[in-house]
Amino acid sequence: MLAPNYLRIFALALLALSGLNTFAADGSGDLTPIADGAWNRATAQHLLERAGFGGTPQEIDKLARMTPRQAVRYLVYFEGVEPRAIQAQPAFDESDIFEAGLDPFPAGRPATTALATAKGEALGIKIKRSGNRPLQPVVNEFFYWLRASRLETDRVAYWWANRMLSSPTPLQEKMAVFWHGHFASSEEKVRDYRKMLRQLALFQRQGLGNFRSLLIGVAQDPAMLAFLDAGVNVKGSPNENFAREIMELFTMGVGNYSEHDIREAARAFTGWSYHGLDFQVDQAKHDDGEKEFLGQRGNFDGVQVIDHILAHPATPAYIAAKIYRYYAREDLPPALRSALAERLKASHYDIAAFLETIFLSRDFYSPACVATRIKSPVELVISTYHKLGLTHVPGAPDFNLLTESLGQRLLFPPTVAGWSYGRSWVTPSLLIERGNFALDVMFADIEFIPTDRYPEYAAGDEIRQVHRRIRAGMEMSAATAPVAKDGGMAMMAMSNQVEHAEEFNTRYASYRGWQMAIERVKPIARDIARIELTRLVTGNELSTPAAVVDFFAARFLSVPLDATTRQKMIDAFTADLGTSDVLAAATYMEDPLRVLLHMLLSRPEYQLG
Amino acid sequence: MMNRRQLLTRLAALGGSGLVTGAVPAIFQSALAAAGDGKERILVVFEMSGGNDGLNSIVPYADDTYYKLRPRIGIKPDKLLKLDEHYGFNPGLLGFQRLWKDGRLAIVHGVGYAQPSFSHFTSMAYWHTAAPNSGDEYGWCGRLADALAPQPVPNFLINVDTTQSLAVRSRIHTPVVFDEPERFQRLGMQQARGLLDYVSKPISGNASLDYLDQVAHSADEASALVREAWAKYKTPIDYGIAPAQLPKVAACIAAGLPARVYYLAFRNNAFDTHVQQADLHQRLLSYVADAIHGFQRDLERLGQADRVTTMIFSEFGRRAPENTNLGTDHGAANNMFLVGTKVHGGHYGKPASLTALDDGDNLVYTTDFRRVYATAIDGWLQPGAAKSVLKGDFEALPMFG
Repeated sequence: MLAPNYLRIFALALLALSGLNTFAADGSGDLTPIADGAWNRATAQHLLERAGFGGTPQEIDKLARMTPRQAVRYLVYFEGVEPRAIQAQPAFDESDIFEAGLDPFPAGRPATTALATAKGEALGIKIKRSGNRPLQPVVNEFFYWLRASRLETDRVAYWWANRMLSSPTPLQEKMAVFWHGHFASSEEKVRDYRKMLRQLALFQRQGLGNFRSLLIGVAQDPAMLAFLDAGVNVKGSPNENFAREIMELFTMGVGNYSEHDIREAARAFTGWSYHGLDFQVDQAKHDDGEKEFLGQRGNFDGVQVIDHILAHPATPAYIAAKIYRYYAREDLPPALRSALAERLKASHYDIAAFLETIFLSRDFYSPACVATRIKSPVELVISTYHKLGLTHVPGAPDFNLLTESLGQRLLFPPTVAGWSYGRSWVTPSLLIERGNFALDVMFADIEFIPTDRYPEYAAGDEIRQVHRRIRAGMEMSAATAPVAKDGGMAMMAMSNQVEHAEEFNTRYASYRGWQMAIERVKPIARDIARIELTRLVTGNELSTPAAVVDFFAARFLSVPLDATTRQKMIDAFTADLGTSDVLAAATYMEDPLRVLLHMLLSRPEYQLG
Repeated sequence: MMNRRQLLTRLAALGGSGLVTGAVPAIFQSALAAAGDGKERILVVFEMSGGNDGLNSIVPYADDTYYKLRPRIGIKPDKLLKLDEHYGFNPGLLGFQRLWKDGRLAIVHGVGYAQPSFSHFTSMAYWHTAAPNSGDEYGWCGRLADALAPQPVPNFLINVDTTQSLAVRSRIHTPVVFDEPERFQRLGMQQARGLLDYVSKPISGNASLDYLDQVAHSADEASALVREAWAKYKTPIDYGIAPAQLPKVAACIAAGLPARVYYLAFRNNAFDTHVQQADLHQRLLSYVADAIHGFQRDLERLGQADRVTTMIFSEFGRRAPENTNLGTDHGAANNMFLVGTKVHGGHYGKPASLTALDDGDNLVYTTDFRRVYATAIDGWLQPGAAKSVLKGDFEALPMFG
């Protein structure tokens, strides 16, 4: 086995002579593969933290026994993964809430009632022929779909979270989360869980494939087209929203194109729209005239514009750096940034090949990367469940509300720019929320209310009030009137003043729509995580408090505790246990162990992966 | 007195009982001075994210050009809430109209900057850093806090939001960022408290970990105070359907927190009205105006109104002509608003011309937005500080005093 080493030394010498390669001794900045001899449990654990959602000791051992190349290909290409395990993953379980009349769904309530008034019906519901509030059933149906689609979207997020937790190919899901943040669309605006699910399937299916195919898929994806108003981008009056974001956020980054390029690209995308869930080009609305884009002229269509974008050097640089920051480290030296761009370009935008390069690279295992990355909320939650040995996501705490309170609700990214990763995940209150999450897992919140059956927040109060009044037999207008605060009309906020529409009552429809939605959308099971920490301790024959603390620290943390914190934790655990003989306390140590784990998972150290 | 007492109590808890009787170590003197006597002036900065359509907010109804630019979404004169013979408020801005009648609303016209960016994220970063077409590591509110208190003062800079804004990033202060005061509490069993509240010293050499430790410190210092402030606060004032965090600011001010700068936002590009904007835009404006009006009334009720000025902005205005989708695309110059009992209400700045648009059909700015920042700094918070905070000379508008 001498030859490969000689070759390697020779290659390194050549690189050194060329003057291009002056990497730090710790490997930082070096994209060449790490040596087989440098592969161990620690590197395997790091790889699973980043390329998946953390590893259990068994998973870490399994990868540690492979060569680095085998381990990386196991995760990136699923080489050696049981095919049956991949196929066994369940598809999303639909509630069956959609009705044909709902498509196309109008832009808002005013557009819905205007349509109904003009056509005699909307959303598949006819206007009442006579009597009070003839538009009421139409408006009820409008709110039904808003609510039902939102609740079903929450179920889609649960389904996805369960895949992250139990998938035999976790990188597929982790990459899908990346693309979801990169090509961010939100149910808030799309208002159709079917489109959101379809877009997610695209990220799962194509996320590790070729970036060109993915980009075209996204540009023709109904959720994205709806989200960026592409459906109204027509010849003669191009809508710039999509054209701007495809360059600024999806490919090149700001500063590499002009406003003129945006307008011209928008022309090329005119007529791109969707019918139901299918992409379609409306040729009558497509502008096939000559465009000038990124310095080139031609009768470009959308795909040709995408190809010009892909050929621009800013694109591989932007995408490579963003992927690297997601998986490896926030801080990218310029030399590393251009080296990564070269790799992505050389792979012809093959995402899997690019990931194989970075997961094998010495830089990825250098101190600049290891344990410097703040976990995203979704990673924090899923990896915590995973390391606790759970096989499905508990129903309480609610996964969606939990991740929202931590700053990352899936399928509801804040803007088209997605989420800011890194330090922006953590503020004083978000850090506290992270610790409180650990408490909720260890000791269930007994006040938990199933949020998919019971309206929440400010609107929830209003809906519950309407509910009580309607059932008490009140007339609809009176039942839905808000309660004025002190100060009378002069001080009353405009947005709280009563509406005077005669044809329908929005507040009643909001309430009735909620009822209709919970009748149809399947409920989320509200089970609590079942944890058995005692078994871990006895099974591993941990006999002292110090051994217990060290065991959990090794299992959950990527950075060691400092000596003072470790000692404080040992002392607190010993005091809670009432003895330093751990095994003597085996029959009652479950609660002290949970208190200990809550303390450990609340530490700033635990936020790093 | 509240601030000073709080700080003294805190120092006593840190360093021993001798402090309360008067012997304050020199290193804490400047912090004490900055925390002040509870009468310091406060600036509240309110962001309308997404690019508010200024032209349909303060409508120049006497100008026919407006209706030519906006044939379908232009708001008819009879629908407007009139300010004067030339301008009318969008019907959603009832709250602003009430403030205007009281002489407490200043409207600055034609605000923007040279070579405007039409990207939400880029332009917002320019506004956050007060560094158009470049950038800065720190936000302008962060730099302002640094100028007001060159030593760290706990709870000096507050950002009520789920995530931290670039505007408050500071070299010296760790901004307190929270969203729901009642949740701003580290929960845990009694036997875990010692460790839950214990923060290691940031000495690890791992920059990410040091950062997390700093944030943990700030959380420890702020959470109880903010929670108490919120628990004590109860208001009869109507802030409307979407109070946009303003009651939380009122609670913190009422409780005497030492913060001099508050930052909050109507977030997530809400004002990005590309399509069918009329109803949505009016509704959004009503939320903002109701909330700002409620906040002002609440401050008056609390006897704090003379200490507080609120400044309202958006990252850009919208394209002067409407688009074909009954909406508007990203534009340039826009209005800004200042509200307060010490603000001389009225029009400021030269309105952008509706006829001399730029090549992209955008309003051309007449007043650099940093002049409005300078107005808030030099005119309100600390005369003379604007030059260093804004890294240049920007003349304040004569709005105060």
